Amino acid sequence: MRFAEYVITGWALTFATLGAYWLRIVVRTKRAEATLPDGEGE
Amino acid sequence: MRLLKPRVAMAVGVLSLASLVTLVILGLFVAPPDAVQSDAQRLMYLHVPVAWVAYLAFGVTALASALWLWPRTRSMVWDRLAGSSAELGVIFTALTLVDGSLWGKPVWGVWWAWDARLVTTAVLFFLYLGYLALRRIPSSVDARAKRCAIAALVAFADVPIVHFSVDLWRTLHQDGSVFNEELDAHIHGVMAFTLWFGVLAFTLLYVYLLDRRYRLAALDEEREEREVALAIAERVAPQAPPVPTPAPPVEMGTPR
Repeated sequence: MRFAEYVITGWALTFATLGAYWLRIVVRTKRAEATLPDGEGE
Repeated sequence: MRLLKPRVAMAVGVLSLASLVTLVILGLFVAPPDAVQSDAQRLMYLHVPVAWVAYLAFGVTALASALWLWPRTRSMVWDRLAGSSAELGVIFTALTLVDGSLWGKPVWGVWWAWDARLVTTAVLFFLYLGYLALRRIPSSVDARAKRCAIAALVAFADVPIVHFSVDLWRTLHQDGSVFNEELDAHIHGVMAFTLWFGVLAFTLLYVYLLDRRYRLAALDEEREEREVALAIAERVAPQAPPVPTPAPPVEMGTPR
């Protein structure tokens, strides 16, 4: 593949960024749910 | 508390993941290299869809902000939705700039050019970064929602400028080859299919992430309200009467 360094960097960076963002939301949501009184949050 | 029902959100999440995996296969292995740009063209299967999602996210932010400002439809749901979508828009705009830059180096020979499309996109990024900063300034819920809604509508004015910049000015950036007036992509076969498939995959991902981010915003607001209510309750609670301290015993022979 020509220009593989640019292509692979672009694809890896895009998915790593979106994956990290998704993970951050999941972790923060779990943390927020843990502080809820029982039975709330849904 | 949610935009989508949990089952629907889960289905959208699974679908977006499956379509993104398919996009990786199509974009990196199935689609042929471009006759002029060679394999650098493969970055377009990311760059165009993430740019589309950035437009979509800011469009949703503007619409939700307008619905908050309109007295008949005013609801905190719109403010929450606007904030969540703007955050996604900023991330997708940043990815648009990075992927575009990575494509520009092998094709144009430079990482960055002071080109109308690039500059207006960078302005868009900073406008909405400012919007997110505005949301973090402490104030009453209504005051924050109002000023953010106005700021979102003002910032959205840059979206059509970004899109039509390639027609308004002579730019290094190529004209709209997909989102043109006729919606007729000037590419064919597997390459066009991969591009449109990418648009679909990233749109699904946007919907899924928006639902998750909205729920987090709702949970954060609820926690803040609980903390404020607790602080008020502690302050207005009646003070317990002071416990009387016993007087020290008077010793015999102590002068008065």
